[in-house]
Amino acid sequence: MKHFTFIIILSAVLCSCQKEQIEIGTDVSETFYVENQGASMRVLVEGNTASKTILLFVHGGPGSSAYFYNTDYISNHIEDKYAVAYWDQRNAGASQGNNNADNFNLPTMTEDLEKVIQVLRYRYGNDVSIFLLAHSFGGILSTSFMTKNNNQDLINGWIICSASHHYPLNDELTRDALTNYANQEIASGNHLSQWQEILNYCNSLPSGMLTLEQANKLNSYATDAETYFSEVEPFPMMDIIKANAIKQSYAITSTFLNLKYSQNADIQEELRKYDFSDQLPMVSTPVLTLYGQYDFICPPALGNDISDMVSSDETFDYILPNSGHIGMYQDQELFCLRVNEFIEQFK
Amino acid sequence: MSGHLVFAQQDSVRVTEENVSSNIKLAYNSSIVYPGLKAGIELPFRKRIINKTKKLGKERHLFKERLFSTNLGWYHHSTFHNNLYITAGFTMRRNNQKGLFTEFSPELGYSRTFLGGTTYQVNENGNVSIKKMAGYNYALVSLGVGLGYDFSVSKSKPIAIYSKINMLTMFPYNSTIYIRPTVELGIIYKPKNFLKFNSKTKHIHKDKSQL
Repeated sequence: MKHFTFIIILSAVLCSCQKEQIEIGTDVSETFYVENQGASMRVLVEGNTASKTILLFVHGGPGSSAYFYNTDYISNHIEDKYAVAYWDQRNAGASQGNNNADNFNLPTMTEDLEKVIQVLRYRYGNDVSIFLLAHSFGGILSTSFMTKNNNQDLINGWIICSASHHYPLNDELTRDALTNYANQEIASGNHLSQWQEILNYCNSLPSGMLTLEQANKLNSYATDAETYFSEVEPFPMMDIIKANAIKQSYAITSTFLNLKYSQNADIQEELRKYDFSDQLPMVSTPVLTLYGQYDFICPPALGNDISDMVSSDETFDYILPNSGHIGMYQDQELFCLRVNEFIEQFK
Repeated sequence: MSGHLVFAQQDSVRVTEENVSSNIKLAYNSSIVYPGLKAGIELPFRKRIINKTKKLGKERHLFKERLFSTNLGWYHHSTFHNNLYITAGFTMRRNNQKGLFTEFSPELGYSRTFLGGTTYQVNENGNVSIKKMAGYNYALVSLGVGLGYDFSVSKSKPIAIYSKINMLTMFPYNSTIYIRPTVELGIIYKPKNFLKFNSKTKHIHKDKSQL
């Protein structure tokens, strides 16, 4: 009998945090998981759920975490008006699972996103307005979602911030942007040796599609390049981790090990074969693109390509003048202003 | 002819067997700020008592213990998971004559996590349901190093206190591994009659005083 009582108490303790709690308010913070095909993905919803409007982050990587977007500035300037959903994708952040490598691919991740949206609607009501905010790799994932069946009917607006919808095109635009800036900066005598090295590498690349190795090296030059401009504030990843790790219950080792795994997973090669150019015209949902002036990882021309291809009558393109690849931090004031304007117009 | 001296020492070894009681451990099992508990039993199965007599007649004692240990651990990482795990392994403990000890313990185990939030599933028709007891099973390897003080050595009290850093490795976790450091702050109780176990003790006397 004693053992039985102990097991009952233990089960109650372990399951207490799995009890469904849905809070409708102006300053909410709640976490739930969405399970699909071998992955349990953590979703943190913060802010104003009473607004019936949710901004859903589709983070980069693959293998990064949505928690890094949860800065004080976004809390104070977006979460006060709307709810923000920070979704950790499969094999990323605090998401958990066993052997799930076979499901780590774009079609399954697209299905994950569909299910996350269905759960958001289940929790906060079918009348809730949902906006996708895609960053970096989130661009190709959200494009896959937006161009599949009638998925776009589930959302009110598509925000693309420094994101890529087409990797081979991305490589081409990165190479062009680096070459142009390298010539300009060398002529001005700025960071001569660094820009010369970048220029030499760009010139050494073959025309046409790059290999994954070449693309990764180009990406690493693109990452460095934005640091050569004084206008661009470096992204203080470590400061954000220090400030929020405990406050937001980061799963630090999980995030790090998921990222290490994802960087070398088969999905990296798989992503290079997708081209949604033919399907983009079916997107009629309002679109907002925000790209950093000095973003070489996902150059602003990618945003123009999306705006040109979609059939939506409501497209808005903005350049974040002091940003590299992390516009939501590097130009946080302008970023929040444009996002809020867009949501307010189409919610 | 060089002036090297060749040293030799007189050693004696004696082996005894006796029924010894097992120890009971209880610890706070923290992972940074995330709380937890750990309880376990240690069964001493081998002991080496080493007495060294130095050249000037000064004596030094130390003993090394090998214990079989089995533990039940738990930690709570809010919004991430609760982890309940059992382990079994060896503890290699080395005590000095004052009661200070260090230890190293490799262990194998099984972990069951419980996700830190309501878990939803969506079926093909778009119907949403809640999954009860959502979580995962993992194999677990734990390596720990610890430092403690054994009051039974110098003060004849049947308790010891210790702190220990463990590195838990769970797998397969998202097709890779999950590593979690934990810190134990605990107490070991050494009752006289609890799960008595046949243990071998090797008494080694190393004498350099007569050289």
